[in-house]
Order: sequence, then structure tokens, then C-alpha cells
Amino acid sequence: MKDASILPDNDHVRTERITVCCAAGRLSAEILYPDWRVESPPLLVLHGISRNADTLARYFASQAQRTGRCVIVPHFNKQDWPVFQRPTKTARPDQALLELLNYLATRDPDLAGPVDIFGHSGGAQLAHRAAMLYPHRVSALHLAAAGWYCLPDRSMPYPYGLAAGKGVQDLKWVNRHAIGLETFLRLPLTLYIGTHDTERDDSLRQVPMLDAGQGLTRLARAHCYLSAFKTAACAAGIAPCAKLIELPGCVHDVVEAITRYDLATLVMDSSPDKMFL
Amino acid sequence: MKLAHTLDHAKWTFTTRRVERSRIAGSDRDFSAARSGDLILAHVEKLGQHLRVQLPCGRPSLIFPGDAVVLACGARYAPDQFEGLAEISAEGADLLAGGGCIGRMVARNERIKPATRLMPAARLLDKAGRTINLADFALRPRPSRSRPPVIAVVGTSMNSGKTLATAQLVLGLRRAGYRVAALKATGTGAFGDYNEYSDSGAHFVGDFTDAGMVSTYLQPLSRIKAGIATLLDAADEATCDIAVMEVADGIFQRETAALVADPWFGHLISGLIFACGDAVAAAGGVAHLAQFRLRPNALTGLVSCSPMASAEASAATGVPVLRKSDLADPAEAAGFALRARARLERAA
Repeated sequence: MKDASILPDNDHVRTERITVCCAAGRLSAEILYPDWRVESPPLLVLHGISRNADTLARYFASQAQRTGRCVIVPHFNKQDWPVFQRPTKTARPDQALLELLNYLATRDPDLAGPVDIFGHSGGAQLAHRAAMLYPHRVSALHLAAAGWYCLPDRSMPYPYGLAAGKGVQDLKWVNRHAIGLETFLRLPLTLYIGTHDTERDDSLRQVPMLDAGQGLTRLARAHCYLSAFKTAACAAGIAPCAKLIELPGCVHDVVEAITRYDLATLVMDSSPDKMFL
Repeated sequence: MKLAHTLDHAKWTFTTRRVERSRIAGSDRDFSAARSGDLILAHVEKLGQHLRVQLPCGRPSLIFPGDAVVLACGARYAPDQFEGLAEISAEGADLLAGGGCIGRMVARNERIKPATRLMPAARLLDKAGRTINLADFALRPRPSRSRPPVIAVVGTSMNSGKTLATAQLVLGLRRAGYRVAALKATGTGAFGDYNEYSDSGAHFVGDFTDAGMVSTYLQPLSRIKAGIATLLDAADEATCDIAVMEVADGIFQRETAALVADPWFGHLISGLIFACGDAVAAAGGVAHLAQFRLRPNALTGLVSCSPMASAEASAATGVPVLRKSDLADPAEAAGFALRARARLERAA
């Protein structure tokens, strides 16, 4: 167990702050460069609704240095991004993320390939939806404590799943999410959830359809998503590379998950060849 | 010496962009023997429809009577402008396209002016006395084992929205992170489409002129197919992940019709977009393409500007209608690439 008040020594990590612009808006990010590099993909770290990008950057900096991997931590500020958890007609965080990755790719060939994505809470929502839309840009997916999911099947209407919703816009988004589904289902997926992440707080979406389709709590919904992912993969003839790691006693708190349960280490050390262990 | 001086001061047109000018060593005036692609030095005699020619640097240049221009002999098929043949008379010829195509006009849209008249001065030869032809400077065929998947864009006619659709899809694919080739399979050499593709950020841009043809009108289908293959090999060499390929004019046009009907085309492409102006055209186009087992993944073009026309077209065909902003959207564009890649993998 580590003391949450003690931040790791990040002296060896060079930090750069960049801002990109695209039709969707402006997005800033911290890029953490270790002083040595391995060939593994960089890690894109997506914060949740607390928008604590700075905190995540500090905790992942030591991991960047330990593993030799670059870490990219965007910050969806409240002014520019009142909604960032999923692409909608009016908010396109996915486009901003692409622009960020495209920009980095033009500057550094080591950052040009697919990236691992880690997201916590609302960041996990964005992470898995972005991976459904652009699976070719993703090498592995790490979802921690998402409030709810877009299930990769037609068991629920969009945005909870890929069955047709009511509107034309929904149908468009269903198609966009569904076209690359097979590629998406081949991605290594790790879900992380605290066993005490069971509170139905105000930030948890609570609608009868979602409660019935995915469960009442983040813990239940994570299990539901893992099951749906595996089932969809098998139905497509794909051997799923997916697992769920429970953090015993952990609540809905990313700092606690990192400092007490080594979440950042688990994410950085995960690799496809270890996925079935 | 006099020829070299004239050539140095002539306005070389866009279709001659690949020509190594140092290869020109002489000339003759045997214009009756000129064939498609031969390089011709001519002087502007009388201005008509075209007041400008397109330069290799990508800008238009005003032309004036007396100006020397270097162009390629060729045919043209453009229902909005001219139909012309790759024939030149010593008495005079027509500027069939500002991109640099000289020939004999045989039909003209009544809404436009007569062609700008040119006086041929010389057919250009190399030091062995052979005619200089665009084919001499074409990309060399380099058969590749892994040509990129192709999304083809066809339409009802000239100006139905194909070029815009091609460029916008290129933009969307580039935003989604793909290395994209933008290709023009058929048509008459000009920089408009070429520049639009480049401006959209295509990583490789090529057209039939890069494959040695000033125009594909009246060219054998085998040559057009070989040209497409050469362009795709070049796209592969440029490490492109995917190609978006516009086929000029409408699906009833001679070469486009032949290409679309050829099973080779169906095997070549991994996606298809149909540009049209209204729902009736959409229904007709989709039905026509179905004869060749081709079904568009999307409709676009002028029809997409109207929500009502889009709804009619979609209902009549079962094919979604995409606006230009949809094609430029990386989420939509990525779908084309993912579907194309999946199709290739299944075929493999």
C-alpha cells in the first residue's frame, strides 16, 4: 500500500504541453517522455468527470519512466468540453483525440502507430467508444470503472448498445460503431473495477433501461460488459482477449486505485501475451 | 536553336508536367500522324471558351493570341463542354481542355462558346526522330503484391459531385489516421481535381496522365485498366493504406460504362460511392449498377444537399445518403476503410 499524499519522483520524465485544434474544438494534453524508450505503444490516459488530468499525469509519469513508454494525457476542460464522455452530434471528443494523435504522429514516428488507451470512469466511456469507431488506432484497451457502456451487440438500443435507436442520428452512430466491430472485438481488453464501487451516486447514470440491461452499479455493469464483449467476440468467430480485474475494497476513486491498488502499474505492465493469465 | 528558344518561352500545360524537356531534340509538322499523347507546340489563334491554360505549377495562366503553348494531342468527352477527337490539322486545331489537350472539336454544349482556336506549329520529337509522347514519361508499372483497397466514386454525370465526394472522403480518412491515395481513373487531364485531392491532404495523388494518357476518351479499356493498376502500385509504393478513386463522367459514358461492366472492376474495389442529383437518378443508378453486381455503400452528391431528396433516395434504394460533411467525418470515413479491409481479408 502506498501513501496517496506522496507523489512519485518524476525527474527523469520530460513533460511537454501541447494544444491541438480541429473542427471539434481545442484540446490540450501533457506528453510524458521518459529518458529511455521501448518499442511498446504509447499510452493514452483519459480522465473522468473530475477532469483530473494533471493528477493522472503525475501518477503516470513514474510509470512512463519505469517502462520506457510515452504517456499522453489530454485534458478536456469544462469550458470547451462540457460533454466529452461520448461522441454526439454536438460534441466530438473523438475527433479531438484523433487530431492529437495525428499531430504527435507527424512529429515523432515512434508515436505514429496504434496506442494503448486507459480511461477511468467517464474516460473509460470515451475510451471504449473511440476504440469502436477507430479500432485501427488502438492496440489495447483498459477500462476502469466506467459508469455504463455501449454493449457490442444489439441487446440494447444505442447508445447503450448497437440496436437501432429512435432517431436518424442514432442510426448513423450505430452504423459507425458497428462497421469496425470485428476489429474492435480483436483488441485486448482489460476491465478494472473496485469491489466497493457499488454506490449509486449522482454521477452514475440511472435509468430503468440501463439498470435492467447492464446492472445497478459500476461493478455489475463491468461484469455485464465483459460478458457481452466475450459473447460478441465468440459469435463473430473471434477468441476474445478480455479479462476483468477486481480491486478488492476499492471505491470509485482513481487516485485510491492507483496508490493503493497499483492500477497504473497493472495498466502499464499489461500486454496481450499476458492477457490469458 | 529557334525551337528551343520558343519552347523555353512557351506556356507548358499541366498535362505535360511529367515530360523531361531535355529529351526534345527536334520537330516536324506531320500533324496528320499525331496520335493521342503526342506533344504539340501551338500558337493561340483566337480566344473562345478557354481564356486560360493550366500550368504544371498548379496555377492558371491567361492566354492571348500569339502565345506559344505546349500541349498533348488528345480526345475529350465533356457533356458540359466539348466532345473532341485526337486529330490535328495543319490548318488549325481546338483547345479542348485548359489542362492541355489539343484536338478537333466535334460537338459542343450550346451553352458555351466555341473552342479557343490554336495554330499547330510543331510536333515535338526526340533526338532519334521519335515523337515525344506522354506515355514515355508515365509511371513505370511496378506490380505490387499488396495494392491498397480501393473505394471507387462514380456518378450520374459530369458535375454530379464525384470530385467533392472523393476529396471529402480523402479528408475524412486522413483525419482517421490512414495514409490515403487519391486517384482519378479516367477523364481529361486537368489540375482542378488533382489540386482538390492534394488540398484534402492525400498522401499520394495520381491520375491517368501519370499513367501516360492525356485523356482516356476513346482509349482501349485494357490501357485504362493498366493505368489504374499502375496508379495503385504507385500508391502502394507510397505506403498508402487505402485509395479513393474517382471515375469520371457518368456511368453511361463510354469508358466508364465499360469499366463498371468489367468484372475486373468489381474485384478491384472494396467500396463504392454513387454521386447523383436527385432520388430518381439515385434509383436508376443503383439499379443499373446492380446489373454488374455492384451496390453502392453510400449515395452522395447534389442529392445530399436536400434532406427530402435524401430521404426519397434512401427509401427508394435502401442505400444511405451521406453529405460532404459526413464523408469528411473520420468516424464515417473510417467505416469505409474498416469495411474495405475486412472485405480484403475475407477475400484472402
